[in-house]
Amino acid sequence: MPSVCFYFQVHQPFRIKRYSFFQVNHDHIYFDDEKNGTVLKKVAEKCYLPTNATMLELVKRHQGAFRIAYSITGTAIEQMKLYSPETLRSFEKLAETGAVEFVNETYYHSLAAVYHADEFREQVAKHRELVKELFGQTPRVFRNTELIYSDEVGQLVSELGFDAVIAEGADDVLGWRTPNFVYSVPRQLTSGREVKLLLKNYRLSDDIAFRFSNRGWPEWPLTAEKFAGWVHEVSGGGDVVNLFMDYETFGEHQWADTGIFEFLKHLPEMILRKPDWNFATPSQVIDRYPSRAELPFHRLTSWADVERDLTAWRGNRMQNSALNLVYEIGQRLKDKFGDAVDPLVLDTWRKLLTSDHFYYMCTKWFADGDVHAYFSPYESPYEAFINFMNVIRDFRERWLPEWKLEVPEVAG
Amino acid sequence: MRVLMLGWEFPPHISGGLGTACEGLTTGLARHGVDVTFVVPELFGGEKSDHVHLVDSHGRITDERGTLHISDETEEADDGLQFPAKGRVRTKRVPAMLMPYLTPETFDDYVSKLKALAGELSTRGASLRAELDSVGIESGALSPTSARNPSVHYSWDMFGEVSRYAARISELFSGYSFDVIHCHDWMTFPAGVTLKKMTGRPLVLHVHSAEFDRSGAHVNDQIFGVERWGLENADVIIAVSYYTRRILNEQYGIPLEKIAVVHNGVYSDTVRERYRSDRRWPSRIVLFLGRITFQKGPDYFVEAAAKVVPIVPDVLFVMAGTGDMRQRMIDRVHELGLQDNFYFPGFLRGQEVEEMFSLADVYVMPSVSEPFGISALEAIKFETPVIISRQSGVSEVLSHALKVDFWDIERLADLMINALLHPELREDMISMARNEVRRLHWEASAIKTVEVYRRVC
Repeated sequence: MPSVCFYFQVHQPFRIKRYSFFQVNHDHIYFDDEKNGTVLKKVAEKCYLPTNATMLELVKRHQGAFRIAYSITGTAIEQMKLYSPETLRSFEKLAETGAVEFVNETYYHSLAAVYHADEFREQVAKHRELVKELFGQTPRVFRNTELIYSDEVGQLVSELGFDAVIAEGADDVLGWRTPNFVYSVPRQLTSGREVKLLLKNYRLSDDIAFRFSNRGWPEWPLTAEKFAGWVHEVSGGGDVVNLFMDYETFGEHQWADTGIFEFLKHLPEMILRKPDWNFATPSQVIDRYPSRAELPFHRLTSWADVERDLTAWRGNRMQNSALNLVYEIGQRLKDKFGDAVDPLVLDTWRKLLTSDHFYYMCTKWFADGDVHAYFSPYESPYEAFINFMNVIRDFRERWLPEWKLEVPEVAG
Repeated sequence: MRVLMLGWEFPPHISGGLGTACEGLTTGLARHGVDVTFVVPELFGGEKSDHVHLVDSHGRITDERGTLHISDETEEADDGLQFPAKGRVRTKRVPAMLMPYLTPETFDDYVSKLKALAGELSTRGASLRAELDSVGIESGALSPTSARNPSVHYSWDMFGEVSRYAARISELFSGYSFDVIHCHDWMTFPAGVTLKKMTGRPLVLHVHSAEFDRSGAHVNDQIFGVERWGLENADVIIAVSYYTRRILNEQYGIPLEKIAVVHNGVYSDTVRERYRSDRRWPSRIVLFLGRITFQKGPDYFVEAAAKVVPIVPDVLFVMAGTGDMRQRMIDRVHELGLQDNFYFPGFLRGQEVEEMFSLADVYVMPSVSEPFGISALEAIKFETPVIISRQSGVSEVLSHALKVDFWDIERLADLMINALLHPELREDMISMARNEVRRLHWEASAIKTVEVYRRVC
């Protein structure tokens, strides 16, 4: 009885406004409310609201046979509250159906798992509270920012008591194995506890998320029937097909006029046409299927790019410098104020940890004069870096005035 | 294909980017089998000419080693010319008193320098006097005429020179065999148009800089007129950027379909380490290198510097070059109390330029209107990251640069400060820009130029 496991990521960062060096010590407001509001409303209109309506309809029509999972970052939820409360209500309605699971992640969509274990635990706990409060669920499954995962992350997640982690089905990690079975974190990392691994089937996921509207793709146009046929081919060779993608795939990355919504509306019935197939949420998957093997991840993986690594966020010197500095600022803040730290100050710092700020500084796609297709509010990665560094200079000088950064050596 | 190319200067005797561009383009063209005869008003010896036939308006040529000779073709026709064994030629021709980008003001300045030289008792002074006398100009009469007399604008002047050059060139080359005439910037346009009319060969005008760029709102109507007349008479026009193409269309009324864009290139050899290894200056260096004129935006550089110094005191702003705004900039620097943070080395050439680019931590090109801006590519060649104005052609081809509207002094200062404070920013920029510049080679420009020739041949 193989399953299709749909999991969608919903995230919006608090983008930083254009912030000059000459605003340092004068202007302590960092975020671009206007832009953030505009983006959220636009995405809500193009993606969240119509897709949620479609999902709700599908859940009802299939009377619980169609099931899906989400993780929605804290920064996205906060912006829904501010700019599109109806979006949040539509997610709550989905939660009430009982067919939708909410997965835990870091509240701020940060790279804390890699940079700061304590901070990571705090952000996971904060997100957990949010999911409980809004959707009445206590998550058993964890997904890290951008599916960033390694043995070390597995160990951290295991210590937090999760039953499973969502990760990328990276070829070099899987080797000859298929992502279509459930695996588990090596037990020496979990004190013997079983923590399962759900690995993304990136070929089938990316057929929808990236290739759906690509007219140069030989399989274009992709119909629900054709896609279901590919899924059904897994029969006998796997327990689960994990289709993990950004929720913005629907209506934002693939515009409505590509036919993505029609595809989505027909997919469940096409999958369910073979009676042995069903839909399952991550928790159902781990309850239903045993782990076939322990799977070590010797390197940091993510779901980004062909490399499936972290170079999109820390592939150059600017990114490393910005990340190291911003995490050090937080550590010093915690050392200085301890539990008495102003929650608003802490919240501001944490919003600066959101991975998008570092993604905007990525130079690897900016090569060869290509204007990078990925969305960035900046004209270049260098401007992204300058803006960010100006902002954290103000933050540092405001809250840690005693910390004098050395002026860098003259380049020799 | 044989191209007769008319230019104004050729390395190493250059006053700006034009000579560099001509050398690069002709090198690229030679690699594509195009036979180029390059004419300049004056050869000085030492010009690299292994890829091109260099000829000046006196009919002199240089050989592969850069030694000056009278060319074979012109020797017979011009039997009056003579040259000594070492190639230092004396002729009885008018010295071409032309430099690219002369304005009436700088031309007058140039003339008065020449006058001073003619008054010298030295051998050079004497020979110049003899030359002038031989063409009926009394050296004593050499004076900037008549800027005050509107009816005889520049009688012994730039425009006279331009037309004399046109006459001389047509005399030298009307019997010469070539497929296309290719002229660089306005001073060659009359010569180009004359040759076209005499020979019926197609005319390509290459615009590296227009009067509109150089002078902004205060365009010289006469230059503007020569430019427009030339452009209208051309068979096809090459602009060094889309930026320039737009100006030629909007300001000169030239239809867009007549204007092709060929971006400049750069050679990507690197010699930075040599200079970096024994760096003498302790402070960080922000470099301006170019003519210190309205067009290059030196005033924006100085005003931005004033905002940087309080934050990064350990910084040296180098403003290299000459131009009619230089003294004003020096005065302004003193007024702002920035004299300890500023250095005006004057006009740098050859190795000095290489050294300066290599030593700089960041190069700034705040041009008000820059058709291309090849110096930004030169800076990157020496591994120096660049801040460039958006009002430049080079910003169309360079992604790995910081870009700013020239008038936005605070933003310029912001970018300078960050470039100075963050070596990681400089390193990432330069490591990406280095690869980017490799693609901007002259061969690519040459290929596009050949396509333009084919449109008219």
